Amino acid sequence: MTPKSIVKTRVIVAATAAALMSSISLPALAATPKSALVMAWNIDAISTFDPAQVGEVVTNELLQNTCDSLVDFDPKDESKVVPLLAKSWDVSEDRKTITFHLNEGMKFPGGAPATAKELAWSMQRVVLLGYGNAATLTEYGFTKENVKERIVATDDNTLVLTLEAAYPTNLILQAIGANRVSALLDEKTLTEKSVNGDFGNKYLATNTACVGPYKLMQWNAGESLVLQANEDYYGNQPKLKRVLVRHVAEPGTQRLLLTQGDIDIARDLSPDDLADLDGKPGLKIERVLKPQLFFWTFNALDPIFKEEKVRLAMRYLIDYDGLGKSVMKYLGVPRASFAQIGATGALNAEEGQPFKLDLEKAKALIAEAGYPNGFEATVLFGMLPHSAPIAQSIQQNASKIGVKLNLERMANAQLFSRIRGRDFQTGMLAWQTGVPDAHGNASRLIYNPDNRPEAKLTQIPAWRSAYQNEDFNKRIQQALLEGDPEKRNQIYYQLQKDTMQQGPSAIMFQMYNILGMSDKVQNWTWNGFRVYYDLASK
Amino acid sequence: MTDKALISASPPRSGYSAWLRAPVPSSPFHARMQQLWLQWRQLRSNASALFGLIVIVIILVAALFAPVLATHDIFEQNLAARLLAPSGQHWLGTDELGRDVYSRLLFGARITLYIALLTTVIVAPIGLIVGTTAGYLGGWVDTVLMRIVDVFLAFPNLILALAFVAALGPGIENAIIAISLASWPPIARLARAETLTIRKSDYIAAMRLQGASSLRIIFGHIMPMCIPSVVVRVTLNMAAIILTAAGLGFLGLGAQPPSPEWGTMLSSGREFVMTSWWIAAIPGCAILLTSLAFNLLGDGLRDVLDPRHG
Amino acid sequence: MADLTHSVPRSDAGNVARPNPVLDILSAIGKTILPVLMTLFGLAALTFFIGRMLPIDPVASILGENATQDAYEKMSAALGMDKPLWYQFGVYVKGILTLNFGDALTTGKPVIDDIARVFPATIELATLSIILGTGIGIPAGVLSAMYRNSWLDNVIRFTGLIGYSAPNFWLGLMGLVLFYATLGWIGGPGRIDFIYEFDLEPVTGFHLIDSALAGNWEIFRNVFSHIILPASILGFGALAYISRMTRSFMIEQLSQEYIVTARVKGLSWARTVWVHAFRNVAVQVLTVVALSYAFLLEGAVLTETVFAWPGFGRYLTNALLVGDMNAVVGCSLLVGVIFVTLNLICDLLYRVFDPRTR
Repeated sequence: MTPKSIVKTRVIVAATAAALMSSISLPALAATPKSALVMAWNIDAISTFDPAQVGEVVTNELLQNTCDSLVDFDPKDESKVVPLLAKSWDVSEDRKTITFHLNEGMKFPGGAPATAKELAWSMQRVVLLGYGNAATLTEYGFTKENVKERIVATDDNTLVLTLEAAYPTNLILQAIGANRVSALLDEKTLTEKSVNGDFGNKYLATNTACVGPYKLMQWNAGESLVLQANEDYYGNQPKLKRVLVRHVAEPGTQRLLLTQGDIDIARDLSPDDLADLDGKPGLKIERVLKPQLFFWTFNALDPIFKEEKVRLAMRYLIDYDGLGKSVMKYLGVPRASFAQIGATGALNAEEGQPFKLDLEKAKALIAEAGYPNGFEATVLFGMLPHSAPIAQSIQQNASKIGVKLNLERMANAQLFSRIRGRDFQTGMLAWQTGVPDAHGNASRLIYNPDNRPEAKLTQIPAWRSAYQNEDFNKRIQQALLEGDPEKRNQIYYQLQKDTMQQGPSAIMFQMYNILGMSDKVQNWTWNGFRVYYDLASK
Repeated sequence: MTDKALISASPPRSGYSAWLRAPVPSSPFHARMQQLWLQWRQLRSNASALFGLIVIVIILVAALFAPVLATHDIFEQNLAARLLAPSGQHWLGTDELGRDVYSRLLFGARITLYIALLTTVIVAPIGLIVGTTAGYLGGWVDTVLMRIVDVFLAFPNLILALAFVAALGPGIENAIIAISLASWPPIARLARAETLTIRKSDYIAAMRLQGASSLRIIFGHIMPMCIPSVVVRVTLNMAAIILTAAGLGFLGLGAQPPSPEWGTMLSSGREFVMTSWWIAAIPGCAILLTSLAFNLLGDGLRDVLDPRHG
Repeated sequence: MADLTHSVPRSDAGNVARPNPVLDILSAIGKTILPVLMTLFGLAALTFFIGRMLPIDPVASILGENATQDAYEKMSAALGMDKPLWYQFGVYVKGILTLNFGDALTTGKPVIDDIARVFPATIELATLSIILGTGIGIPAGVLSAMYRNSWLDNVIRFTGLIGYSAPNFWLGLMGLVLFYATLGWIGGPGRIDFIYEFDLEPVTGFHLIDSALAGNWEIFRNVFSHIILPASILGFGALAYISRMTRSFMIEQLSQEYIVTARVKGLSWARTVWVHAFRNVAVQVLTVVALSYAFLLEGAVLTETVFAWPGFGRYLTNALLVGDMNAVVGCSLLVGVIFVTLNLICDLLYRVFDPRTR
């Protein structure tokens, strides 16, 4: 080694040492920027920002903050509807025509005018594209053939919706008006970016182009995402100019980041971390019940689980109380009814969960069903962290009445394709509705218009469990068109009581939206259906 | 160090000891036994290898007598007594469902050893056959087999195992198949390299001149020569297998609940790493210790059986 | 941890004298190209095979669980999943030959772009790890050989074995709890604090280099404080392997006659070892280092998971779990190319520089 290179080496060593020392002396508590909200969140599920295609909760929440819909859920009471893109609306006598009056002078990010014409195009687009969210509209009679006549812009600020039946107006406003399918998209840009007539679907895979308080600045899959306040927004400017989301898959890591002050909000904390952080100085825990149910579904094609009594027996193996107080304490509340707490027509918390762990009863029920010595069955579940402990708890209880449950954990994508293909005995998964009305879940978890395998109604959980009950179907239809709210509620109450005994799945928990937050964040506003980033401040 | 054992040999004793120590072996069997005995003395004098062996024996005993040593039913849950710290009642605390960690650890040793041993039993013969065949026959057989080996080697073990587990479905048996598929190539390579040197030796040439079939030469004369280095390799491999199995468990694709596989225990324990550190720390230490023991033993065995690779 | 000990060329193999190094290189290249192509084709076929076996439905992965059958069939057709298998294989091979891997299903971007984005994170981590592993591993291995069977040798070997035996995701977890959460010495998971993330202009994609180029030492320090723990943990594993192999190479060298001769001539022991003996094992050691580097480059899946490191290993694993075959194929071929290239380089180094083959 020459003297010169020794000097060089020394310099490098010294520099490295200096870097090391200085990194050691970094202040323990880093601060997040004053004008930005920094969140750690598992955002692996994001695959597109197209409102016609998005079907999972993470992107849905982000879209709600980048793309205003026609109307909005009241932040304080999710069953009420308040103006958003539409400042008011009129309903015809026969309830079949709804006329929306939009805000004037709305602009897309960049300054191009945003009118009812683009909105009509955006909504028609959802049906014409035919992705998952088309069902939100086709369910109420909009089809590829009629959508251009049924959703019409009569002038720049007026949009007219024509329905095929006298659906409850509030339900339509919740299901369509406040849904991502009524996002106002930039027709011009999307038409320019269109590939093979995809209405800009490919462009929206990595961009947003709509009217909302924020716009998507940057998204690196599996890494980070940035929302930036939209300068051209017609409403009030958000208090925090940027929302930074960092992808962190490990709950433990999120906790570390939060307690070290590197983030403001941790979205996926484990229940025990939440319990531990609850009440710690400088931190707070926020929670709200969301319309998501965690349930155990049974395949009615299976010779064992086609027996109603077996399905009922399984409900008595669930330690609702014990799990609710331990594993699920910060994650959700016990719920056996298909209608979520907070929805119109839902049973109250007590009546909506009449079950308790009762091995005797479960044993008697399976004996009546013809299995006095028990049986063996498989439970599939995915990567949700609470699945494993719940499944193991039930497995242990089942073993006491001679029922041997084999657990099989798999990647979520694999679980979904098994369940969709009716290729399972029993499975545990979550289901979330977009409507604060009992109809939302009744129409999916119970209603099954066509049980034939070739019908392939794979988006309907009742079909996936091969479950069809004509009487329930009829009552659900009847409730949908019932004009008297009280009568309508009564139908749903009875339906919930009956399905808890007979239905295709054991609903187990209604989940919380829960997070840990630095107490520097003020005015965090949310309800079960929506998070309002633009109202938060620091 | 290899000579130490001989020099420090104690004065001759009668019976077995004398037989093992006889200056001239009386039969091939006698010679083999004498060699084994010598190797054992060498191994015994290697402190770290001995330590590894002792640890493995302890783990084996723990696994064999798990039902006797365990203090609790490993499946019995108690939601009221979850996440307890180590105490007289629960020596290593309880997990997220109130199960006894100590008892689960003992039964977990069974699974870990089962995976490691079964994988080895599958992998060693496959690697030996492929490697010796390729090495002895040479030519296009060699080229094709070694390309296959290369293809498998190009993937990191865990990713390959992950792919196979994803394809086959989770579970211990599938994990074993997946890990086997991922870990036979290094052994094949080693066996081939050994074969290449053996192949040139005079006695193989003599066999060939006598008209022995390739099959017979490979199985009867080359394979036995490869065994020492393969044994060393396989022992070291066990550590890698244990780590891969734990990695699969950590990603949720290994043994399925409620099985007390260590990687799976660690994986569910990581949620509680800040609140109940022992749930993750204990299986982690167990994995470390076991894999360390196999490495130490493998190192020691190498000195004895395969001194060329020191 | 990755299994590293397999493909170190044996020093006693191929002891044939070769007269002309240039010809030698050419014939070596000729002899290597064909097997390389075969390996790559095998890799592609294996990947296709795994993809066929995966019970994961990529269509369901993209559309989510609530998609209608209509949308499902449409997407299935768009992906060519409704075509017969031989046709799909044809499309697949054609894609590979034209280096067009298509778009990743999960990100909607071309696979090549995705890899270009995630790979620098892994390269940066792997490089720092290998520097740490080599910088400490080689001297440790040499010392171990010099003082064979002494307490120093035992300490070095034992420490090395721990690096070899510890589940590195567990070390990472424990390291984070200790150094980040409890002591607050280092930056946490991720490559950089979020506040700096958008101040850093990506030039090379390597945060350390980018921040140094920009002369922004505050960011440099921050990046360093994030990378040091995962790099140390991965470096520990590499160190274990490198020191172990260096030791055994050196022991073999030190038993050679010329060492005795050198000592008799009065050369100092240290000089004999470091200059003469080490020079003779340098190529072998370099091979070991190159192989360790290859395995680090292929991505440390678990370490990347624990440290929320947006690197290659995590990208590949994720792609595998959602059945994103375009991404899996692109990644596997990259892995194959890295492996094959480094093996090739090692081979050539051997042929050209190893004193015994010259």
